[in-house]
Amino acid sequence: MRTALILLLLLALASAAGSLIPQFPNSPERVAQFLSTHSVLGEVYRRAGLFDVFGTWWFGFITALLFTSLIACLLPRSRAHLRAIRQRPVHARELDALPLHREMLVAAPPEVAARTAARVLRRRRFRVATEGASVAAEKGALREAGSLIFHWAFVLLLVGVIVGKGTGYSGRAAIVEGQTWTDARLNYDATRLRLGRYFDGDFSGLGLRLIDYRDAFDPETALPLYFESELELLDASGAPVGTAVASVNHPVAFEQLRVYQYGFGWAPVVSAAKDGQVLADGPVLMSQQTAPEGRSQLAQTWHGFVKLPQVRPEVDMAVELELWPDGRGFLFEGMPMFDANAPLIRYQVWEGRLLDPSKASLDTRFMRVVRGGFLWEGSTVDLDRACIAAGPAATVTAQAGCPGGVEPSLTLTFDSLPHYSVLQVGKDIGVPVVLAAAILIVVGLLAALYTSRRKLWVRAEPAGEGSRLIVGGLALQRRSQFQTEFDRTVDALVAASGGSVREAVAAP
Amino acid sequence: MSTDELARWSRDLFTVALFVYIAAMLASFAFVAFRRRSMARLSTVLGVVGLTANVVSIVLRAAAAGRTPWGNMYEYSSMLAAMAVAAYLIGVEWRSKIRTLGGFAYAFVVFSMAMAVLFFYVGPQDLLPALNSYWRQIHVTSMITATSVLGLGCVFTILFLIKERSERRQVSMLAQQDPPPIMGGAIDADAPPDFAPGADEPVLGPSVRRGVLPASGVLDHLAYRFIALGFPIWTFGTICGAIWAQGAWGRYWGWDPKETWSFITWTIFAGYLHARATAGWRGRRAAVIALVGFGSLFVTYYAVNLWIASIHSYAT
Repeated sequence: MRTALILLLLLALASAAGSLIPQFPNSPERVAQFLSTHSVLGEVYRRAGLFDVFGTWWFGFITALLFTSLIACLLPRSRAHLRAIRQRPVHARELDALPLHREMLVAAPPEVAARTAARVLRRRRFRVATEGASVAAEKGALREAGSLIFHWAFVLLLVGVIVGKGTGYSGRAAIVEGQTWTDARLNYDATRLRLGRYFDGDFSGLGLRLIDYRDAFDPETALPLYFESELELLDASGAPVGTAVASVNHPVAFEQLRVYQYGFGWAPVVSAAKDGQVLADGPVLMSQQTAPEGRSQLAQTWHGFVKLPQVRPEVDMAVELELWPDGRGFLFEGMPMFDANAPLIRYQVWEGRLLDPSKASLDTRFMRVVRGGFLWEGSTVDLDRACIAAGPAATVTAQAGCPGGVEPSLTLTFDSLPHYSVLQVGKDIGVPVVLAAAILIVVGLLAALYTSRRKLWVRAEPAGEGSRLIVGGLALQRRSQFQTEFDRTVDALVAASGGSVREAVAAP
Repeated sequence: MSTDELARWSRDLFTVALFVYIAAMLASFAFVAFRRRSMARLSTVLGVVGLTANVVSIVLRAAAAGRTPWGNMYEYSSMLAAMAVAAYLIGVEWRSKIRTLGGFAYAFVVFSMAMAVLFFYVGPQDLLPALNSYWRQIHVTSMITATSVLGLGCVFTILFLIKERSERRQVSMLAQQDPPPIMGGAIDADAPPDFAPGADEPVLGPSVRRGVLPASGVLDHLAYRFIALGFPIWTFGTICGAIWAQGAWGRYWGWDPKETWSFITWTIFAGYLHARATAGWRGRRAAVIALVGFGSLFVTYYAVNLWIASIHSYAT
C-alpha cells in the first residue's frame, strides 16, 4: 500500500507541474509563447516532456507502476475476503472480556435459548454459527467488499480510458450552412485531430449536413445565451436518416459518433472571376483574433483569404478579406456585432509569390499590397482598379464606381454571408465503462467508509431451571455507533425470549 | 421588487451575515478565554442568525439572477460560508457537543467571505451556455459542500497539531520533573506517601494547564470525521464534473488545471485516509498530509481561477 501511495503522490506532483506549465494539447499557442520567451528553460522543459506531462512516457510509466502495485495488493486481499465471507464466524470464549457485554437470565433451557438468539441475530442480518449453546455472529463484510470494489473500479476505469481513448478519435469539423461534411480524416482540422494509439484508421464515413446555425446573445452584456446547429444526419452511403440539433451541453449521438457544438464563425461566399471564367468560388471560413481585455469578442472583425495562384504569368495574387458582419461595426468601433446586417468587407490585394496554400493565413514574405477597397454583400469589385463594377457601392466609404467604357477583367463578388458551425466530433466507446467505474468508485467508497465489521457472541449456560445468556460484542470500526446497535440487539434478544426474562444484568 | 433591488438586498444580507459571523467568532473566542457559558450560547445564536441571513441572501441572489446562484466565485464563496457554518453547527456543536472550536471555524468562514467581498463581487448575470446544465447544480453543490467540509476538517487538523505538540511537551516536561510522591519519590518513613495529605491528587508542574482546546484525540477524530465526509462528496462532485464535461466539451477529462487540481486534492486526501489506517502514520504524519491537502484545496478553489489560465476561468 505504501508503494501505491507514493506512486499516487508522484502522479499528483507530476500533475501539478502539468497545470503550472502550459500544456501543448490544451494551449499550443501559450507553449509557443513560453518557448519564445524562455529559450533555455523551454528547451529543458521540452526535452523532459513537461509541455505534455500527461502524454509523456514517464507519466504513463508511473501510472503503469501504480496499477501494477494496486493489482498486486488487491489480488491477495480479494482472495482473502472471498475466503472470509464463506467462513463460519468463529466462537469466542471470554465473552466478559469484550468491550460490550451483558448478562441476562431467561426461562428457556440453554439449547433453546441459543436457538432463539441465533434466530434473532439472523433476522438482524448477521451471519450466524451455532455450536451447542453457543452462538457466534458476524456482520459487515460490506466494508472490505466496498474497499475492494472502490479499488478494483480504478482498474476498470483505466481499462475504459485506454480502450476508449485508444480506439477512438476526436477532432473538429467546420461546416458552412447548407454544406455536407463527411467523417473522414481529411475533413478534420488537422491541428486539432487526435487519433487513438490503437485506432485502425477506419473513420465512419457518416455525414452531417448543416441545415441551420442559430445563436443568441444578451444585447447588454454581449454574452452568449445559446448556440445550436440543426443537422441532417446522413449514413455512410449518403442517404439522410434523420435530423438532430446539437447545442452546448446537448450533444448529438449518431451511431458511434458524438457531435458537440463547439464554436461558430462567418463564411462569406465570395467568387473571383477573370474574363468571365471563375477562378475561385465558395465560402471562405473566416477566423477571428482573441479580443483584448475589456472588448467584446463579437466586436472583433473576421479575417480570411482568397488565393489566386498564377493569376497572371509569374504573378500570384491573394485577396485578404476583413469582414464586419454588421456594417455598423465599421463606424462604431467596439460595437458587438450579433447578426448579419449589411455586412461589409474590406479587401486588400497582395501580389507576389504565394508560399503556402493554407486558407487561414498568408505568408507575406514575397508579397506586397498593391491596392484595396470595400465591398457590400451583392456587389462586385474590379480587383485591377479597386472600384465597384456592379451592385451597391459601399456608401460608408467613398468608394468610387468604375468608370464606364472599360470592361473589368479580374473581379471579386461577395454573394452572401452564411454562418459556419464548428462541431467537435469524436468516437469513444469507453465512456459507458468509465461511467460504470465512476459509479462503483462512489458506491464502494461509501461502503468502505460508512459500514463496519461487527461481531457478536451469545452463550447460554444452565442457571437454575432456565439459563443465563451472556452476550458480548465487538466492532472493528465505528465503535460509538455499534454501542446503540448492540443495545438494540440485546433488547431484541430479551423480547424474543418471550417475556420469560427473569433478570437482565448489565455488566459493569 | 426589481432585480436591482433584490441584488442589493442580497448583497446587504451578505454583509450582515459576514459581520454576524465575525461577532460569533469573537463570542466563541471570548468563551474560550473567559469560560463564560453565556458567551458560548451567544456564539451559537449569532451563528444561527448569520446562517439565516446568509441563506436568505443566497435565495434573493437566485431570484435576482433568475437561476440557481452558483455561477461565479462570489456566489461560490457565499454558498461555501453557509455550508461551512451549517456543517460546523451540526457536526461540532450539535453532534459532538464541542463548543471551544467555534472561533476557528468562523475564522475560516469569515476568510472565505472576506475574499468574496474583496476580490470577487459581481452583479447577478446570465450564465454562459456552457454553464447551463443540471449537472452544474449537482457538480457545483457537491464541490462547494466538499470544500467547506474538507476546509473545516483541515482547520481541526491544524488545531490537532497544535494540541498534540503541547501535549507532547507536557509529557516530556513531566518526565524531567522529579517523580511525584505517589510514585515513591518521597519515601519517608515518618510520613509514607499513602498518608501524605493530597497524595492522591496528581502532582503537576506549574506549566501544565488544562488548555483551551479539546484533547488531541478528540480533535484528531473530529478532523477525520470531517475529511471522511468531505472526501466521498469531493469524489462524487469531481465525477459529476466529468459527466458534465462529457456533455459540454465532448470529453470527460482533459487535464484542464481545475480538473488537474481537483485530482491532486483528491489524491492527497486519499493519501490521508490511507495513512490514517496505517500503523505508524496515524496522528501527526497523517495530519501533515491533511495540511498539504488543505493547501491543494486552496489552490483548487482560488488560485486556479485567479492565476492559472483554465477553461474554468469564466467562473471568476
